[in-house]
Amino acid sequence: MSEPRFEKLAVIGAGTMGIGIAEVFAAGGQDVKVVEISEQVFQNAMSGLKKRLQKRVERGKIRQEFAEKVLKRVRYVPDIRELVDADLVIEAIVEKLDVKQNIFHELAEVTSPNTILASNTSSLSITSIASAARHPERVMGIHFFNPASRMQLVEVVLGAETAPSLAEQVKRWLKELDKEPVIVKDTPGFLVNRIARPFHLEAYRYVQDQIASKEQVDRIMRTAGFRMGPFELQDLIGIDINFAASVSVFEGNFYDARYRPHPLQRQMVEQGAIGRKAGRGHYSYEK
Amino acid sequence: MKNEVIVLGTGPLANRMGRFLEERGCQPVRADEKPRSDALALIDITAGMEGEKKTSLLKWEQNLSPDTPVFTSVLHLTATQIASWLQHPHRVVGFSPLFFEKWDRVEVSCPLQAEGDSRFENALSLLAKWGKKAEIVGDEPGLVFPRTLALLVNEAAYCLQEKTASREDIDLAMKKGTNFPQGPLKWADDVGIDQIVAILTGLHRELGDDRYRPASLLRKMYYARYWGKAAGRGFYEYGQMSDPATGEPR
Repeated sequence: MSEPRFEKLAVIGAGTMGIGIAEVFAAGGQDVKVVEISEQVFQNAMSGLKKRLQKRVERGKIRQEFAEKVLKRVRYVPDIRELVDADLVIEAIVEKLDVKQNIFHELAEVTSPNTILASNTSSLSITSIASAARHPERVMGIHFFNPASRMQLVEVVLGAETAPSLAEQVKRWLKELDKEPVIVKDTPGFLVNRIARPFHLEAYRYVQDQIASKEQVDRIMRTAGFRMGPFELQDLIGIDINFAASVSVFEGNFYDARYRPHPLQRQMVEQGAIGRKAGRGHYSYEK
Repeated sequence: MKNEVIVLGTGPLANRMGRFLEERGCQPVRADEKPRSDALALIDITAGMEGEKKTSLLKWEQNLSPDTPVFTSVLHLTATQIASWLQHPHRVVGFSPLFFEKWDRVEVSCPLQAEGDSRFENALSLLAKWGKKAEIVGDEPGLVFPRTLALLVNEAAYCLQEKTASREDIDLAMKKGTNFPQGPLKWADDVGIDQIVAILTGLHRELGDDRYRPASLLRKMYYARYWGKAAGRGFYEYGQMSDPATGEPR
C-alpha cells in the first residue's frame, strides 16, 4: 500500500483512558510511547494493566506470551520532546480546554507538520483545541469509549480545519486494530453523547411530571431491549459524570431546549447521591 | 360467546394486531365491515394526526354497549382528549401499539374522566387475559418508551440532516457505543416514520416545549410518505415503494 502506516505511536496521559488506548495499540502489535509527567502514575497504570492481562490469561482468553508482549510494547517517556518522529499522537489528559490547548501548542512545535495530533476528548471542541496548534489541518478527535480495550466504537472527529483525507486513513487503521470507527463532524457531544441525551434527560421528566416511577421507566426500557434503563445506567456511569456531559452538550449548543438538563439531576449531584460509587444514587447500594 | 374485537386502523400495526388477536382466539373485525354491538373490545391503533380518528371512533361508539372497553393509541393525543369526544368517556384506555404483539408489557394510560372508575380495571383484566402486563403511566402523548424512542430518532435525524455523520455510522455508533438494541434510524423505519412524527408533533402541541420540535427531515419524510420499512423507504431503502396502508406498490 502506498498509504503511510502509523508506526510510531504515542499517548499523552496514563489515566484510565490513556493506558487503555495504549493497550489497544499494543494488543494490535504496535509499539507505543506513553507520556506522563509522573513516572509513578505511569507505573501504577502499568501494574493495573498487568493485573487485567493476567486475569485474561487465567480465564484462558489470551496466552501468557501475548500478555508479556503487550506489556513490553508500552514504553514510558517523561517528556513530549521525545516525540519528534511520531506518526500519530493521542492526547488523553484532563478535560480542560486550556490544558489541552497548551499541550497541542507544544506538540505542534515538537513534531513534524505531518504528524497526526489527536485528542480523545469526549466533550470539548476539536476545532477549538486545534486552534492552538500550528498546522491545525492534522488535528482531529479520536474518541475511544471506556473501557477502550473492550468497547469497539471509536468516533473519528473532524474539526473545521481538519484535512478530510485523514478521516478515511485513520478509519482504515482503526479497523486493522479491530475497532468499529465512525466518522463524525465536530459538534457538541459528537454522536453517542449527543443522541443518547434524551434517553437520560427525558427520564427525569417522566419522574418529575408523575408520568412514571424510576423503577417503571427502567422496566419499560428493559422490555424495549435496552440492557439497562436510564436510572440504572446513570448509577453505573456516575450521575455526576452524566450531569457534566449533559451540561457540556447544552452549553455547546447555546442552550437549545433539546439538550436542557433537569434540576433533579443537579440535586442528586448536590446531595452526593451520585450512583454506585457513592453507595447510593437513584437506587441504594448500601450493604 | 363471540370473541370479536374491532380493529380501527390500517398498515403494519393493524395487521400485526389482527394476527395477535387471532392467536388469542379472538376474531378481529376490520373497520370497513358491518358494525357489531356485542364486540369484546374496540382497539384503535390510529395515531390521529389527520382527524380521521375522531370520526371513526364516534361512528363506532354508537354500535357498542356502554361498558365495552375502547383501547386507543395515545401516540399523538392524550386518552383524556380522546375520551372527551365520546358519549361514554369512562371506557377509554390509552395504550401504545408499538411492539404490542411482541412484548409482555404494554404501557397504558387512564383518561382523567375514568380515574377511580372500575371499568378501567376491567379493561386491564382483558389485557391480562391476553398475557399482557399493564404498565400504568401518566396520560401524555407517547407515554414512556414511544416518547423516548421518538426523541432519540429526532436527534439522530438532526445529525443526518446536518450531515454530521452518515445514516450507517449514526446507527453503528449507538449500537456499539452505548449498547442500544437497534440503531435509532433503523428502529424508526421498523416502527414507522409516521408514528415517530405523530409522537413528536403530539408532544410539541401538548407540552409546548421546543425539545419536541421534529427535525425538518422527519417532517419531509412524513409528507413524502417515506414511512419506513412498510412503505419500502424510510431512512433506508427496502426495494419497491409501496402504500404503507395497503402494501400496494406505488
